[in-house]
Amino acid sequence: MNHSSNSPTDQTPEGDSPSWFERPENINKLIIGLLIACAIVTLADLFYTNPHAHFAIESTFAFQSWFGFVTFVVVVYLGKILRWFVQRDEDYYDR
Amino acid sequence: MIGNTILPPGLLMILGAWFLPFLSRKAQAIGVLVLSSVSLALFLWTPSGQYGEFEFLGASLNVVRIDSLSRIFGVIFHLAAILSALYALHVRDIRQHIAGLVYAGAAIGACCAGDLITLFVYWELTAISSVFLIWASGTERSYRTGMRYLIIQVGSGVLLLSGVVVQYVTTGSIEFTRFTPAGGTMSLGAMLILLAFGVKCAFPLLHNWLQDSYPEATVTGTVFLSAFTTKLAVYSLARGFPQTEILIWIGCVMTLFPIIYAVIENDLRRVLAYSLNNQLGFMVVGVGIGTELAINGTVAHAFCHIIYKALLFMSVGAVMYRTGTAKATELGGLHKSMPWTAGFCLIGAGAISGFPLLSGFISKSMIISAAGEEHLLWVWLILLVASAGVMEHSGIKIPFFAFFGHDSGKRPKEAPLHMRFAMGIAAFFCVGLGVAYPLLYKWLPHDVDYHPYTVTHVVTQLQLLLFAALAFVFLMKTHLYPPEIRSVNLDTDWIYRRAFPQLIQWGGTAIVMIDGTLRRTAMDTLNWFLRGVERLFSPRGIFGRAWPTGTMTIWATILLALCLVLYYM
Repeated sequence: MNHSSNSPTDQTPEGDSPSWFERPENINKLIIGLLIACAIVTLADLFYTNPHAHFAIESTFAFQSWFGFVTFVVVVYLGKILRWFVQRDEDYYDR
Repeated sequence: MIGNTILPPGLLMILGAWFLPFLSRKAQAIGVLVLSSVSLALFLWTPSGQYGEFEFLGASLNVVRIDSLSRIFGVIFHLAAILSALYALHVRDIRQHIAGLVYAGAAIGACCAGDLITLFVYWELTAISSVFLIWASGTERSYRTGMRYLIIQVGSGVLLLSGVVVQYVTTGSIEFTRFTPAGGTMSLGAMLILLAFGVKCAFPLLHNWLQDSYPEATVTGTVFLSAFTTKLAVYSLARGFPQTEILIWIGCVMTLFPIIYAVIENDLRRVLAYSLNNQLGFMVVGVGIGTELAINGTVAHAFCHIIYKALLFMSVGAVMYRTGTAKATELGGLHKSMPWTAGFCLIGAGAISGFPLLSGFISKSMIISAAGEEHLLWVWLILLVASAGVMEHSGIKIPFFAFFGHDSGKRPKEAPLHMRFAMGIAAFFCVGLGVAYPLLYKWLPHDVDYHPYTVTHVVTQLQLLLFAALAFVFLMKTHLYPPEIRSVNLDTDWIYRRAFPQLIQWGGTAIVMIDGTLRRTAMDTLNWFLRGVERLFSPRGIFGRAWPTGTMTIWATILLALCLVLYYM
């Protein structure tokens, strides 16, 4: 991505030491943490039953896990498709 | 005029605003904070009941009605006013102070209005006062946006008044109460009033004033704007149209389409405006379902929403205040120099996404459970889709692109102390409401028998959110996530910003063409006639030339013979 900055005065040049969140090993730690958390909440499904299930699909194994993943990807792709139709230059209305 | 000595809620703020110009510039900002706080104390002290009943032109008005529904909205509107005032403590612009205070006061007055005429007066006052928060940006663009906003908002008021008039003529009452008996059909007056509420509530196709105007307001003005207008509409719907089935479907559409727009929007304040629209959808679904649990969920969600949405607008506003932009393409890496703002933003993002222990979890799950209890499978699924969508745009996109992600190289100073203080209080409420939820449930309009922290709720919600986050990581790692692009995305405002002017231009051109053709044809006809006349009467024309005497004698003889024949017939 090309970042053009319109330069506030209190800006230091790039290249200072990366913060904790920017070091690759820490990003990997965060991702591994997320994977472990995902595994735990999915496996948790084995250890309880929903006492107030209203729909059959609710009680299937790890329903909201895959549903959350698929929905997120679909929403993002729908956004990509929407861009073809609605995206215009930034000064579209000013012309 | 008012039978009781109790001051109508909000009036202190509306009237007090006009004394602000007499204070020093620094004291004006403090004045807003003090007036809002005193007004809250007075409001809490006012007992529930009906005040200020009087006859006006044959109709009975009821200026103040405080019951369980108006009480909780009055409290949250006051809290929002106080938070916004604290956030705007650095502003030295008297217009914004007066506008903010009158706007908040009018919204508070409106949610305590017992009759439709009083509601209408406050309804229009919120429109007229709030537009100054947009105009205060002082740009040509904000002036135009403000004009569009004002026309639509005042238009909503005109619809409301028409509905009230029809309602009065048909029923003889202007009481602000439920308009649709369960299972009954809607009268014309009720339909007009619903439409007026729908405009302010940003129903699909009537929504775009919101995304158009909120990002154009001043940094502090947007925080005020995010709290009042739309939630006043939610209050009005909950009061007037509970269990109106069409609202369920309107709300479902409202939860869905803004999330797709939010994915591709570059301006983070506009992303938040789309996200606001999506959250309103949850509340509209709640009103449509209309059971006690659903209405409780709607009210609780409005309460929590006002705080976390204000928090999100405050954190993005702080970024804009320091860097001069809210565009994702120009931000990133700000957590290094604005760690407090980044932290508060993450709390707001967690709250809106509905993470357990934060406020969105204890309110949104009520609405989703209400859909489950009514066995509305599709509604329930749509609300789940919308929840994952919220995680996308507000839970991840806002904090990621502003504070983490690609480093923009910008190292702005941390937000001013009073802004951090306002954000801190809002963040405290987000956590507090999520943990000490019974304190909120106690204020809800119906008795609550609902427990958000069951194993099922917590586990399923975490599954949804964590796997949504995993999907984000997956799309980022595989470079499938769409990059931020400097652009504008067309929405329904295109119809009145581009299509109508274009149509009018074409219409104008067509009229000029038709007019030209008609004029030319008329002139040609006239010229042809004149030429004919000229030909006949010119010195050589049949009537103009000198005829010989013999010819005249023949003609005279013929005429006389004709007369003779006619005489004898």
